[in-house]
Parts: sequence; structure tokens; C-alpha cells
Amino acid sequence: MGGIYVHIPFCKSKCTYCDFTSFPDKLCFAEGYMACVYREMAMRKEGLKNHTFESLYIGGGTPSVIDEKYIAMLVAAARKNFNLTPDAEITIEMNPGTVSAGKIDTYLRCGINRFSVGLQTANDAQLRDLGRIHTIKDFLACAKLLKGQNFSADVMIGLKNQTISDIERTIEVAASAGASHISMYALTPEDGTPIYTQYLNGELPDSDEVADMYAAGVKKLKSLGFERYEVSNFCKNGRFSRHNLNYWRRGDYIGFGVAASSCIDNVRLTNTFDLDEYFKCILSSHFAVIDRQEIDKAGREEEFIMLALRTEAGLNLKNFKSQFGCDFPEKYCKAIEKTREYIEVNDNFVKIKEQYLFVQNGIIVEFLRTDEG
Amino acid sequence: MSKKNIRNFCIIAHIDHGKSTLADRLMERTGQVSERDMEAQLLDSMDIEKERGITIKLTPVRMFYKAKDGVEYEFNLIDTPGHVDFTYEVSRSLAACEGAILIVDATQGVEAQTLANVYLALENNLEILPVINKIDLASARPDDAKNEVEEVIGLDASYAPLISAKEGTNIDEVLEDIVKYFPAPEGDENAPLKALIFDSYYDNYKGVILFVRIKDGAVKAGDKIKTFRSDKVYEVVETGVFSPNLSPKPILSAGDVGYIAASIKSIQDVAVGDTVLRSDDPNPQPLPGYKKVQSVVFCGIYPLDGSKFNDLKDAILKLQLNDASLLFEPDSSVALGFGFRCGFLGLLHMEIIQERIEREFGLDIITTAPSVSYKVVKTNGEEIFVDNPSHLPPVSEIEHMEEPIVKADIYSPPDYLGQIMDLCREKRGVFLQMTYMDKSRVRLEYRLPLNEIIFDFFDAVKSRTRGYASFDYELVGYERSKLVKLDILLNGEVCDALSMIVHEDSAYTRGRTLCENLKDAIPRQLFEVPVQAAIGGKIIARETVKAVRKDVLAKCYGGDITRKKKLLEKQKEGKKRMRQIGNVEVPSEVFMQILKTNKDK
Repeated sequence: MGGIYVHIPFCKSKCTYCDFTSFPDKLCFAEGYMACVYREMAMRKEGLKNHTFESLYIGGGTPSVIDEKYIAMLVAAARKNFNLTPDAEITIEMNPGTVSAGKIDTYLRCGINRFSVGLQTANDAQLRDLGRIHTIKDFLACAKLLKGQNFSADVMIGLKNQTISDIERTIEVAASAGASHISMYALTPEDGTPIYTQYLNGELPDSDEVADMYAAGVKKLKSLGFERYEVSNFCKNGRFSRHNLNYWRRGDYIGFGVAASSCIDNVRLTNTFDLDEYFKCILSSHFAVIDRQEIDKAGREEEFIMLALRTEAGLNLKNFKSQFGCDFPEKYCKAIEKTREYIEVNDNFVKIKEQYLFVQNGIIVEFLRTDEG
Repeated sequence: MSKKNIRNFCIIAHIDHGKSTLADRLMERTGQVSERDMEAQLLDSMDIEKERGITIKLTPVRMFYKAKDGVEYEFNLIDTPGHVDFTYEVSRSLAACEGAILIVDATQGVEAQTLANVYLALENNLEILPVINKIDLASARPDDAKNEVEEVIGLDASYAPLISAKEGTNIDEVLEDIVKYFPAPEGDENAPLKALIFDSYYDNYKGVILFVRIKDGAVKAGDKIKTFRSDKVYEVVETGVFSPNLSPKPILSAGDVGYIAASIKSIQDVAVGDTVLRSDDPNPQPLPGYKKVQSVVFCGIYPLDGSKFNDLKDAILKLQLNDASLLFEPDSSVALGFGFRCGFLGLLHMEIIQERIEREFGLDIITTAPSVSYKVVKTNGEEIFVDNPSHLPPVSEIEHMEEPIVKADIYSPPDYLGQIMDLCREKRGVFLQMTYMDKSRVRLEYRLPLNEIIFDFFDAVKSRTRGYASFDYELVGYERSKLVKLDILLNGEVCDALSMIVHEDSAYTRGRTLCENLKDAIPRQLFEVPVQAAIGGKIIARETVKAVRKDVLAKCYGGDITRKKKLLEKQKEGKKRMRQIGNVEVPSEVFMQILKTNKDK
């Protein structure tokens, strides 16, 4: 199992919370950039002959901001260079302010079958405050174009002046517009973003308020038939994000483009975050990798645990044993004992109890190594 | 060098009056260090000393001075600490000297610690040379300072040199006076060896280095020596003097101040204050030692990482060799495991030792709140001393308790009398008397319970008088008092390391503030943690550390895994700095939170 990720580092304007690699003023380089991405794929082709991929995820930035023909060519390039299964999940991230009927038509024709739409909040004042370029109306129009499609909406909690009823309404708007998947993220104020100033000045809800928002959001989602399958991800009718589940199961993934990461056969590679540097490397037929990390067995085990415990299903004991050759409950009996009250253990799974998913860090760290220098 | 050309002396003064600066100047004038190598406060070699601008350790140094009479003299100077906590360090250096330069600050006059040190010097029969320092300052009143020396101390100050150690003014006069007023050492070079150990430290290559003053006889490499209190015989490997670094000298004889290295490996075998003798001395007689140290403040010191107990033991043993006033015994706590109960001369001393353990030995430690030694009279008539609240017998076995009382002298400009009296009242002080020393200085005498002043009294005096007042105290005995043991319960369990003994009247307030402080200091856990204060099983205060409600990384996809794992690892590291008390994780700093009881209000 494996996934392909492509990073499109362009957008119309930077959101106030965004610390991803995205350049609002460099859209003119899109054509050249995409050419480099195709080339980078061709360069990786040889080494990945024996791998099969079940998902392709086009993220950003705002992938929908560039001309749709490049997206179509991208999907074609992925199919041409790699063993992408015929029924692969192919997702594109979209900003409701950048879509048109023509674009979505092209996406569908080239094989894209899943859409991830950034709604964030159904409150125009809050959208403005986040620096989003769209309104609720834009989202509704976008959802209309996606009618009948498998689409996901992103919802944020912990925003300035946000109330619990704002969150409930946002979820209702997304659900009634037809979203079959909702990601509900707590705003994380990152140093260097404009929103960090709000955080430093105490303008954002505190952690207890965010916890209340999360609880209310979960309740609302469940009432509308969404099940939680990861701490921030909810879906209806089994429409999980296969691409993301692959991350949490610690499957292989290969990333293309600036700032993209790959993890193939336990070697993690990270591409440069610098656009010029990326161009220079690829045009001279060099990989743009700036960091290469081999993950040893202990490190793999920790990642496996940390990622698996994020999910509602928890850690699959059989998978653990087949990957690491030992019994999880035996090896981690001390940590299990210590966290007994917060976890559920049965013959097949170890999982964090529902009510403790939002405080999982303190539980997960008990399973990390202690003997580090 | 003939004995009659040697002068052994030290410098005594109140803290901040300029001891180390004068020492620097003397070394510079005698060519001991070139001006180029001169760094301020040369003798304060420890980082802590430089940072805090105070002298903690005595430091000896040898200089040569060619006097106006054309004769070259050898000076052995021992720089001493000025803070009230380090009196013991001072008393040891005094025993190695014949003279003492008493520095009086021309702007401040005689201070409490000046007096304390003068009395120590007089007890040791030292010749005292008063020197009025800081005459370069605009606020200097050298004549008033001289008058104070004469009136308060009773020394003739008419010939006292007026100097500025900082500017280097009149330093030559001091050098000449040293030759003129301080007696040459006595002692018989041909008598059997008798040397007083006034300090020591552990050198990784040479073993224990003894700092000695040779009173009689001589010592050189190859000699067989022992100490009066131990029968172990050592062969001297090296002798030498302080310049101020150790510099070898083939022989040390009566009158000399120097060091002896004799491959002494065991730290316990040599005690400061003991006498070094020849191993074949037919009639060994000890030199008078020092006043035995009396610990005033006690606290528990535990390794943060329980498995580092032996490292901590080693560190404390080595520190004790260098600081004989540090007393300790092994101790254990339900909450903190194995550690040591240590006795200190005061709060600053305690702080310095804690810092030295952490810095010089790279150990992370947990210290418990300081306590004093209480006298407990049991119902069966037995009297015991308890400095560790968790060793207090059950209430039913206690007939009554007594607490140590001090007589405190506070010197202050009259403007601040009100504030000082308020403070003393808050601290259960009893006013004794008030003396106007001159129109700008008043001496207040109070009886105060020691446990009220060990926390933050010194800081409070300073802050309420904008730094003008000074303070000294001496123990005067024990007094019956209504004392109770205040326990702290975390999640319903008594945490023995947080227990303290307090006066009944202040128990409620203490308990209240303590719970409030702990509530802020204990991080939120996965469950709600009640923090309670109790006296004899009765809860008197309660706060609650709410359960944590958000502790999660919102997103974690392919590109985030490495970074998110690092965040979790950091969180794990933070946990390592915590102690598990029952099922509550408590950061190590919490055990000192008790100190903040009054400060933060």
C-alpha cells in the first residue's frame, strides 16, 4: 500500500494562520513548476517500479488556483510513471474562491474522484479575519458544482470570536451542502504567522474553550451521521480519506514538488522549501532532497504507535506483530499499566478511549522510549 | 625568607564594602599580577562568585612587598566572604593569620557584619587595622566612619588609612601599615610539625589538597604525615604556596601559609580544623580548632533521577571537603526516594550549595523547603531535635515543642524604622531595644523565631529599606511555641516532601497560599488533582488542579511526522523532570514553591 503526494505551492493570498510552503506572488511560475514536477516523477520512476500506489493527493497551497490543464497532465504523469491502481483515490484540494464549472469538469474527466474544500467557518467575518479569499456563498456555489461527488470540507475551531453555535452551524452548512467527509482542525497558532500575534495577545479561545468547541463539534457531527475515524477526521458511509489513512498506518508515500516529503522503505526524504532551489535541482536532473533520514526499528515502532493511536480504531495488534515481530501488550505492559484508565485493550486493538482522544499526547508519550540520551 | 619578614593577614568587612577589590589592588601593587592580566575580583574564581559579585570561599594568596625600609616582606593574604552565612569560612581564615584589615565603607559606616567579624578577629587575638574605603564617592563621610569605628567598635581609628580600592588611592599606605602594625608569625621551625588545616579541596590528579598554616616545624615532599584525629599516614608528594594558583615550594616552615598534597584519596579522613603532624610525633598535641559549625537551616536534597543517588553522594562529599560547614546525612522520603538531609549556615549558603551541585557536578536535584531544628519534648520526658517535618513524632507523643530563637541586630537609617518594625511584628518578633548610633544610623534589636527569618527575611529587610539596612543574627536558645505540622495532600495522599512545621497562628494563611502556589505550579494532568493543606488530618485549605482538556496535535500527515514526533519527544523530556507522587506528576521546582509563601503576595 502507498500514496503519492504532490505539492502545489501557489495561492491567491496567504491566510493568516498558514505556515505551509505557498507563494501568493509566484503564480507566473506555475507552468515551469509543473514541468519540474513531471520531470521529478520521471526521475523517481525507476526506483519505484515494484511499488503500488492506491492514492494520489494534490495539496498545497491552493492546487485549484493553477490552470486545470496542468492538473490533468499531472494525473496523467502519475499514471504513466507509477503503478497507480485503476480505482485509486485521487484527491485535489480546492479553495471555494477559485473554482469554476469548467475546472471541475476537467478534474472529473482526468480521473479526480475526491475533492477537499476549505470552508473553515460559516461566518463571513471570521473568514475575513482568517484572510480567506472566499465567502459562505462561494462555498455553497462550489458545493453545488460538486453535487453527487465525494467531497470533504475543512472546518476550523478555536478561531477569534468563534462560538459553539458558529461551529455547529458550519458543520450543518457543510453537511447539508453534501460533504461526505469533514475534517475539523483546532487552529494551531504557529510562530511567524499573523495569527500568532492574536494568540500572544490572548485574543484566541483558551485550551478549555477549544476543548468545549471540539466536544460540541463531535456531538454535532455524530448527530448528522458522521463517524470519527481519526482525532480530526469524520466521514459518512465509509468515505474515509484513503490517502490519509495510509499515513496513519505508516504506509509508504512518495511526495513531489517543493517541501514535499516521502517515506519509502523506511527512508524519509524531504524536498527543499525554496522554489528557486527546487527548479535548479530538477532542471539539472538532481533530486531536490535536503534531508534524508533512515528510520531505525525503534523509530519505526514509535511512529507506528504515535500514528495509530490518533485513529479511532487504534493500534492493530496483528499488524504490529507482523511489522515488528513482537507482542505489543507484552513489550509495552508498563505503559499500558500506567495508562490503563485512558485506553481500551482487547485481543485485536489498543485504542485511546473516545473521551481522551483530545488529550492523547500525554498518553502517547508514555509509549515513547525513555532511555534517550 | 626569615619568619620575621612574613605577615599573615586577612581582610574582613561587611558584604560589598570592597574586600575583593582591595585584595586585587594589593596583588597588583606587589606585582603579583600584571595589570594586563588583571581581571576584576581576581580571587573570586567560581562562576557563582563572579556572577553574584560576592565572595563565598576564602582564597589565600602570597605576595612579596619591598617596604620603604628596604626590606622585602612576604605577605600571605586570605580573602574572606562577607555575607552573614559565611562566618564560619571567615573564622577559619582568621585562625591562620596574625592580623586583619578591617574595611569600613566611608559611605555606610559600621554595619552588622562588620561587628560580627571584628568580634571573631578579637576572639582570635588578631591585630586589627581599620581602613576607610570608597573615599572617592561623593557621599563618602570618612570622618563619620572613623568616629563610628571608635565609638561602636572601640578601635583607635586615628591612623586608619583613607583609601579608594577602586581608584587605587593610598594603597601604599596600607602596604606599609601591614608591615608596621601586624606582628610577624611566631612558632619554632625546629619543633615537631604542627600545621592547621584551614581549607581543602579535591583535585582529580593530586587527591585532597590541604590548605595549611604551619605553626611549628616544617614540611617537605617525602615527609610522613598524619592528622591528629586520624591514624592514617600519608607521604607528602608536594608542598607549595598560593600565587594565587598553586605553585610548588620545596619546604614550608613555621609561619608559612601554603598547601600540602599527599595523595590523600579518602575525603572523610581529613577535616578542616584538624592538625597535621609528623607520623612519628611522640607527643601529638592538636592546635586549637575552630568553633564547631552549627547548621541553622536544613533541607532535603534528592537527585532528580533516582538512579543518580551515588553521583549525588559523591558530589556532596567533595563539596564538603571544600566547604566544611556543609553537614549532611542520608535521608529518604516516600515521595522522593533516597537523598540527603543537609544542614547549612543560612539560606544563601543553601542556595550556593544547591547551585554548586548542579553546576560543578552537572546533577539535577530536587530540594525541599528549608526548615530549622526544633526541640520536641515527648510525653515520656525524652527530648529530641527534629529538623525534618516528616520525622516529627505523632501528636499524641508530643508534650510540647520549642523553636530556635535568635537575637537580630538590624542597622538602618532612621527613615525606615517603621517598615522594619512592621516586618518584625509580622514575623512574630519581640522588640528589645533601639540605639541611635549617630543621627543617621539606628540599631534595632529584636528577638525573632529563626523559622520566620530563614525564608525571605533578609530580602524583605533589604527591599523595605531600599537596600540601606543590614542585618545579622545570633542564636540565643529555644523557646516553647505553639507549632504544628502542616501537611500537603496531592490527590488525597500526603506528600511528605512538602510537609512543614509552622506556627499555629500562621498555619491557615500558609496552607492557603501554599495550595494556591501549588495549584499554579503543578501542570494539569489527565485527571483532576485536589491540592489540600491539612493539620493533623483536618483539611484547612483546598485548591484544584483541573484536568487537562486539550493536549493533541491537530494535524499529522506525511510531511508532519518527523516534526510532530519531536514535539512529543520534547513533552516526554519535560516529564522526565517531574517526580511521580502517587499518580500525580510534579515538576521538581514545586518543592521549592513553599519558599514563595510570602514573596508573591
